[in-house]
Amino acid sequence: MNVISQYLLPCVYAFFACLGFCFLFNNRGVGMLICSVGGALGWLVYLASAPLVRSDLIQAFLAAVAIAVFSEGMARLRRCPVTSYLLIALFPLVPGRGIYLTMLYCIGGETQLFLSSLLHTLGFAGCLAVGAMLVSAVVRMYRSFAAARR
Amino acid sequence: MDYSALLDLSVDMGCSLLESGAEIYRAEDSLRRLLAAYGLPDAEVFAIPNCLIASITTPEGEPITRVRRVPAHGTDIQKLELYNDLCRALCRDTPPVSEARARIAALEARRRHFSAPVLCFGYFLGAAAFSLFFGGDAGDALCGGVCGLAIALVLAAMARLEAGAFFRTLVAAAVSAALALALVNAGAGRSLDAITIGAFMSLTPGVALTNSMREFMAGDMVSGVSRLTEALLTATAIALSTGIVLALGGATL
Repeated sequence: MNVISQYLLPCVYAFFACLGFCFLFNNRGVGMLICSVGGALGWLVYLASAPLVRSDLIQAFLAAVAIAVFSEGMARLRRCPVTSYLLIALFPLVPGRGIYLTMLYCIGGETQLFLSSLLHTLGFAGCLAVGAMLVSAVVRMYRSFAAARR
Repeated sequence: MDYSALLDLSVDMGCSLLESGAEIYRAEDSLRRLLAAYGLPDAEVFAIPNCLIASITTPEGEPITRVRRVPAHGTDIQKLELYNDLCRALCRDTPPVSEARARIAALEARRRHFSAPVLCFGYFLGAAAFSLFFGGDAGDALCGGVCGLAIALVLAAMARLEAGAFFRTLVAAAVSAALALALVNAGAGRSLDAITIGAFMSLTPGVALTNSMREFMAGDMVSGVSRLTEALLTATAIALSTGIVLALGGATL
């Protein structure tokens, strides 16, 4: 029961949230399902890695790597740009809530909270970006390595 | 070969890629490959989120440059995939410019948009699922979905009135926050926090912020700063109107 409420349900919610956003970004057909599975997978990695690393920034990094690997694989399989999957699958992780709360602190005059929340939000977005870029860089390096050997 | 027409075609392609939400380096790279495939390996391409510059020198030694301003845009995955495919096909086949134009026209005819009710359903589903995701219960999800729906309607109405992006976000967030407050006061929802943030997910610039970080890491500093500023401005708009509405309603987050 604990496993269900702690791990399974949030991932199901993430799946449906991504599905909703597929409509907004005009993603159609099988791509919708792939994005949503990617979103759920990313959140599962985020939750599952919590006891191991004890830092939500590292968790975000690991989740972004998982999503990027999944997206690269699917993009290769379906021959379309990896952005299509990456963008929506990252949605449950992107710090939309963080940036909103940051600016709420800012206009509320709570400077300390504003600064710490701003730095944390930027760090979180940075970790996601590093995770995603790392995978695409490795894929690109592997491609030129394979091309050089041929 | 008519190099002026070729450059026009390439810049149109690049513009469409940027408009569909492609990353800067993808748009620049696609254009460079396209021009190289047509025998212009020394073409210069520079893009930032709202501007595209491409310059070539014809074999006769005549320089041609095009500057195109890219209008404000959202993300359209289908358009991105179609134009990406077309760009690859053009690099492979290098058909005459007139045929490439015909292919673009055929592509535009293939593009589809979701109808308004389906789009509204998307807003509802996304907002409801994110309300649950942020710790709401079933009632909160329903309220979040309704607030998300309100955002969709307000955004559509404001777009028809040709309001700017900042003002559009401001009003949509205000309406949604007021609705969330009313629903919680009426007893339909329990957690104001889960409802508002769930509904706001379609407005908050989380993706823009993450993309700006990716632009920084790809070395496109100007694009990164431009997207970061946009993200902060959008977040300020949401926070401003929410802060005012919640203060008027006597609630705290």
